[in-house]
Amino acid sequence: MNVRQRLGAVASALAIGVLAVAPVSAHHSSAEAYDSSKSVEAQGTITRVLFKNPHSFVFLESTDAQGQKVEWQVELGAFSSMTRSGWTKEMLAPGMVVKVTGIPSRAPGSHGITNAKFAKQDGSPIGPSRSAQ
Amino acid sequence: MGVTDWLEASALGVWTRESPSIWAYPTILTLHTIGLGMLAGANAVVDFRLLAFAPRLPLSSLLPLYRFMWSGLAINVVTGVVLFVAEATSKARQPVFFVKLTVIALALATTVKIRSSLLQDPAIEHSGTIPRRARQLALLSLLLWTAAITAGRLMAYLR
Repeated sequence: MNVRQRLGAVASALAIGVLAVAPVSAHHSSAEAYDSSKSVEAQGTITRVLFKNPHSFVFLESTDAQGQKVEWQVELGAFSSMTRSGWTKEMLAPGMVVKVTGIPSRAPGSHGITNAKFAKQDGSPIGPSRSAQ
Repeated sequence: MGVTDWLEASALGVWTRESPSIWAYPTILTLHTIGLGMLAGANAVVDFRLLAFAPRLPLSSLLPLYRFMWSGLAINVVTGVVLFVAEATSKARQPVFFVKLTVIALALATTVKIRSSLLQDPAIEHSGTIPRRARQLALLSLLLWTAAITAGRLMAYLR
């Protein structure tokens, strides 16, 4: 192998390595963990709110059709970017009863939601006036 | 309360995790990426030179790149500790985090070995050809740094 061929081989090997990972890490999309072809709705009482980086979370306690308690985990963006789009900590607080619509987690048996829109029980939206998500 | 709980509850951990400021988490993560670019990027220059790219560059002329690499490493040790503290309990339980640290240790070993045994070897410099073991070490170094970057990136996707 001459120099050029050898470099070509090295570059190809690296490119294959990168391509193998690219679908996962091309950007930080939610597609790996959540299924955007489906939608999901939940209603319950907020038990815990974690406004944090790199992702925020809201936990809801609700009851399923069989009367079993279910904990929903709603994944939101980085607190830094939420703040910039107008979210404040007061908008989602423990004890509030809310409705959430979004896309469900792919993990079987899990109760995860992302791309979430929050509303009060009467249907009025929660969050900054312009679309925050 | 374990060490990781304590770290996570520390003022630094709380600030990094919960500050809404663009100068907190987003900036620290950006610096971590810049440090990575300095370290792995300059290292790739050395590796590619040993793999016969840019053959007219004298090997010893690459030595100053090491100062640049160690600056990148210093940035990443500091920002890496801060990013770990912010999420210490979950990161300490993430297997891919320990894979990343191990691969970085191995990659650093190749980077140091290349400097001490190849770049300062007058025999290699004067012969004008790169010995086979040098090319193998350079390729290993390139692959290990690629793996380290991959493992780091996967921390966002694997539990």
